Amino acid sequence: MASLQPKIKSKVRCVDGEIGEIVHVIADPISLEVSHIVVCANGTQRQVPVSAIGAVRDDAVELTGKSAQVAAFPEFQREDFLTSKEVEIPHLENKVHVEPGDLLVPFPPLEKSCARRNFFAGFIHVIGALIALPFVWPVLRFIMKPMYVPYDNRWIPIGNIGKIKTDDVGVQFIFTKSFKDMVIERREDKNHWVIKASPDMLKKIYPHGDLAFTDAKGDVVWVNKQTVPYVAFAGKCPHLGCGFKWRSHKTLGPVFLCPCHLSIYDASGQVLDGPAPRPLDVLPIKVAPDGEIQVIDVEYKAGKKDQVRIA
Amino acid sequence: MNPLLQQVYDFVDERIDLKTLEAKMMKEPIKGGSRWAYVFGSVLLFIFIMQAVTGVLLMFYYIPSADHAYDSTQFIIHEVDYGWFILSYHFWGSSAMVVMVFAHMSQVFLWGAYKSPREIIWLVGLALFGIVMAFGFTGYLLPWDQRAYWATVVGVEIMDKTPLVGDFMARFLKGGPTPGQMTLSRFFVIHVMVLPGALMGLAGLHLFLFRSAGPAGPFRGSPEELKAKTDFFFPRQVWKDIVAMAAVFLTISALAIFEPVVLLEQAKPDPGDYAPEPEWYFLFLFQLLRWKLFAGEFGQFLGATAIPAAFMLLLAALPFFDRSPERNIFKRPIALLSWTAVMTAILVLTVSAIINRDFLH
Repeated sequence: MASLQPKIKSKVRCVDGEIGEIVHVIADPISLEVSHIVVCANGTQRQVPVSAIGAVRDDAVELTGKSAQVAAFPEFQREDFLTSKEVEIPHLENKVHVEPGDLLVPFPPLEKSCARRNFFAGFIHVIGALIALPFVWPVLRFIMKPMYVPYDNRWIPIGNIGKIKTDDVGVQFIFTKSFKDMVIERREDKNHWVIKASPDMLKKIYPHGDLAFTDAKGDVVWVNKQTVPYVAFAGKCPHLGCGFKWRSHKTLGPVFLCPCHLSIYDASGQVLDGPAPRPLDVLPIKVAPDGEIQVIDVEYKAGKKDQVRIA
Repeated sequence: MNPLLQQVYDFVDERIDLKTLEAKMMKEPIKGGSRWAYVFGSVLLFIFIMQAVTGVLLMFYYIPSADHAYDSTQFIIHEVDYGWFILSYHFWGSSAMVVMVFAHMSQVFLWGAYKSPREIIWLVGLALFGIVMAFGFTGYLLPWDQRAYWATVVGVEIMDKTPLVGDFMARFLKGGPTPGQMTLSRFFVIHVMVLPGALMGLAGLHLFLFRSAGPAGPFRGSPEELKAKTDFFFPRQVWKDIVAMAAVFLTISALAIFEPVVLLEQAKPDPGDYAPEPEWYFLFLFQLLRWKLFAGEFGQFLGATAIPAAFMLLLAALPFFDRSPERNIFKRPIALLSWTAVMTAILVLTVSAIINRDFLH
């Protein structure tokens, strides 16, 4: 049998006459059938089980008993029920239609008087935090492992000064650097620029005399003597880290020019034009008697007014 | 329906309530009726699905190692059957995604659809915009050719200039002080795991919120007119959506066929004759950083961080200060002017970056 579909406001009749009208319909959340109707008789709302219904007609619902028996049914307590919209009961609304108004379902007693609701809510968060918090530090350390490695102060051969023919002209030295990249042994082509500076240029490059390079602790690892004419510039543009070139500029003459954001430097590395915040970076340089050049592959952060060493 | 099919349908419906699902997915009334202007969201979903499919396929051959990324990408292009097409589709698909995001945002902006009660949808949409740009940025490195390498070097340096967190962010992304294997590994994981997860979650939320708030509808017309023209999402809007998807599919395929991806030399820290530049949709920002105004430490912060961040914040705050219920774009002169100004600025900057490119070679 299809489930009963009593209508709200329809009249309710007992065998001995009309007693009132339906004000609510209650469904059973397990069987998804109508379980009770609530009848308002003489100002009192009573919960009548469907077993007491004889027939549902278009104009009225007929009960099997007498009007006196209706008074025996329990009084309806609204706070014991929820509307079907306040809870999630799959399929219920497809099976039982109540109009006009809400379909009621029982408010589970355990939920209605959940004395420790705040306790549960609080401890759900506490336990969640207990699971998550111990992970924060290990995860952070895990991710940060390669981020702050010590500086590499090795001397790397990059070529011979025999390649430089003219003073104050940028010469590119492309060299291969071998290194361990986490677990991989890698070789990578890098490039730096070396100039043989005239005395005037040297003064511009070393305005404060000899140039000292320090390691992470601040200990001096090398000093570039201001009298050595060979100067190596790191191949990384101090603006945003592109690779610059030695080019002839139509008004400025021969210059270092970075194609990315058009920063222009003279042979001493001073900024002539463009967005660069500081001159080209001078590297620690060692020239052997046979002319072999070695540098420490120091790397500074791009985009800063001051040199901030990162590698 | 075919009786057997009907039986299957009834079987499933009885268990998971297909009818409700159908009603929620397909029978959403669209105020004022379906329109071509509403296709952008669906098209974006379609492009994303295609990016996911082609992306998964590429991972069958791609090796995310500094020593193999370039060779494995070349292998996909030159050796794997239709590898060139799958890769080029994925490449052009990313451009299509950015174009569609701009179209979608413009439509929502011009239609005033970000206004109450759809503020949260707009905010989630902005987060999705960020994710799409991050997809483009991280994916660009993976072929590990000169173009990829240098766009990333510069991009990460720009991020490095963010006050307080910049240094950490740059080291986090590079996986060290300088770019290398860890950079590739991190970009790979972010591109194939983190961003897809974030996008699926947020796009789901975006759609859910959209369905909860309902579509905004046209900005003109009386309630009676709108009611008279109302139809369901299915079939007329779905039809328009699928036609747009087909057009996008054909466009991306044509670009992939006629302009397939060609790699430059393998990445190395010496750019050689290559003048580094980012993907075209970042060119405007790239060009901005060439200006004198944005030179020096502070200027760079202004150009690379402050202005883009302020612009995004402005967009996020938009539905909260623009509280007038007026949605007709022709009655919102400031909105129309701002949109035109921003679009013109992006266009002019992009074009000047392209002109500068010729000047360099």
